[in-house]
Amino acid sequence: MEQEQQNQDPKRVPFYRMIMDDFMLLLFLGVTIYAIFYLLWGVMELSNLPGIPDEVKSNLIK
Amino acid sequence: MFRTCDITGFKVDLRSEKLIRYNAVFAVISLLMAVVAALLLVFTRYQPMHLLGAEWYYRLVTFHGLNALIFWIIFFEVAGLYFGSTVILNTRFCSPKTGWWAFGLMVAGLVISNIIILMGKADVMLTSYTPLKAHPLYYLGIILFAVGALIAVILFFGNLMIARREKTYGETMPLVAYGLMTAAIIAVITLASGALIYIPTFLWSLGLIDNVDPAMYKLIWWGLGHSSQQINVAAMVSIWYMTSFLTVGGTSINEKVSRSAFVLYILFICLASAHHLLTDPGVSSAWKVWNTSYAMYLAVLASMIHAFAVPSSFEVAQRKWGFNKGLFQWLAKAPWGNPAFSAIILAIIGFGFIGGTTGVIFGMEQTNIIVHNTIAIPGHFKGTVVIGTTLTFMGITYYLIPLIFRRKIVGFKLAQWQPWLFFIGIAMLSIGMIVLGQLGVPRRHWDNTFSGGPFSHNFNPAVDFFWVITMLGGVIAFTATLIWILIVVFSVFWGPKVNGPQDMQLTISPLPPEGKPHKGFEAPGTLVLTFLFLLVFLALFFLNWKWLAATWNVN
Repeated sequence: MEQEQQNQDPKRVPFYRMIMDDFMLLLFLGVTIYAIFYLLWGVMELSNLPGIPDEVKSNLIK
Repeated sequence: MFRTCDITGFKVDLRSEKLIRYNAVFAVISLLMAVVAALLLVFTRYQPMHLLGAEWYYRLVTFHGLNALIFWIIFFEVAGLYFGSTVILNTRFCSPKTGWWAFGLMVAGLVISNIIILMGKADVMLTSYTPLKAHPLYYLGIILFAVGALIAVILFFGNLMIARREKTYGETMPLVAYGLMTAAIIAVITLASGALIYIPTFLWSLGLIDNVDPAMYKLIWWGLGHSSQQINVAAMVSIWYMTSFLTVGGTSINEKVSRSAFVLYILFICLASAHHLLTDPGVSSAWKVWNTSYAMYLAVLASMIHAFAVPSSFEVAQRKWGFNKGLFQWLAKAPWGNPAFSAIILAIIGFGFIGGTTGVIFGMEQTNIIVHNTIAIPGHFKGTVVIGTTLTFMGITYYLIPLIFRRKIVGFKLAQWQPWLFFIGIAMLSIGMIVLGQLGVPRRHWDNTFSGGPFSHNFNPAVDFFWVITMLGGVIAFTATLIWILIVVFSVFWGPKVNGPQDMQLTISPLPPEGKPHKGFEAPGTLVLTFLFLLVFLALFFLNWKWLAATWNVN
């Protein structure tokens, strides 16, 4: 049994390398972090800005 | 379908090689267009010459930006991605036909956008902030180019999948290919942002949409504009590792750490786009500080890791070759006659000392205000994209000419000088622009005297001196670029054929002999240089805070 385990050990890929070599997972993480922190957060803040009051707007357009 | 390279031993897919060649040729064409425009712009901003009228100035700012920052860089990167995913990984190209479609779309995009700009129908500069409106074909050209580039990136991932399935590389992907994979992932983020903003803007230019909100446009556009430069960073660093391997047989002293640094790029570097919105009132300080500080510094950490790992890989290899005396014999005895080596070392120095230091300082919300919208900002990215990326791409081309185009380098003596000349020119241009910006000179402004404007401004008299430095730097850099283009064109089209290793003008180093295990630092010289860099950075950092304090007198 021990012998068997020893034979299998060299084939076992460490967890960190599994993560680091999985380019689809890295792609997903890269896109997600950027989408959440930069894009969605930024878009939400801009979307929630109050509109320009009509009085100011008409003065600006004039 | 394959040839085995008699110099490197790599198995080269001939279909991939052809695509690499064509993409590289169009990269060079784009660079030529970019630098011709750049010279005219320098001669216009240098007030005693003031060459172009206002219209042509802004037209060429657009033309230069698009050709330099998008077309030159991305064509070259696509060539690099194909090289990395097929030649380095010893595998076949997944779909050459699709590769040609991608190439066709990119060329169509380049031609359409450039024609529209030169016709005067898109004087909107690279950023094309709404409500500035260009001709619909301008946006269409960029969309076509971006779609082509995105297909190229997908093909890169296809090649990776084939290589992994067919086990063409060892247990894990080589570090160079890993870095290029990082570049490809960042490219997906970049191109997706581009699609998000250019498609509605295109529809708006056609009159199918009423309005594109300027604040929203700016936010999403910089997801493309800044992230596209992070593709460069990842690709450039990969080439640095590759050059160390090719020139002295150097490998990273800790590959795991180097890979982790690339992962940090994937996760955090694109957040740096927020730098461009630091003075925008629409987004909160929390958004700005998170994206430009806490998270982004993890990407800066990654650059610091590479900045140590690459020179130390040179040093450790050189020491193994026997150049072990003192702190810097490894550097003194380095292969300086190899233009690829000198280009990469100069690129590392320029990228770190000029582009890197200013990048961190200008990217902070507080100190950014000193230089925001001044000429210091393009001065900063001359230190990153030009000294860093462009010089790196120029350097590695000296290897691509014999290995991919199978030609000898024509004018080799000149090639040995070219990186130095380019470095001196761009360093002068970049530092000149940075100092001018610190003195308040605006960017993208046709007339430094503000003649006819509602107000006037007297700049510090030192400005005149730094304009001369900037102008001279521009001329030297233009000359060096022209020399490089001529060397490439003459070598590729008329150079003597390379028939084997005996025709190689550049060395391809074997791995150095394993030295005796020793105590202490593996790379003491690099450690000293790193501390020198940190000292310079700290000095500049505190200087900028001092200037900030002087700007707002707080009692």
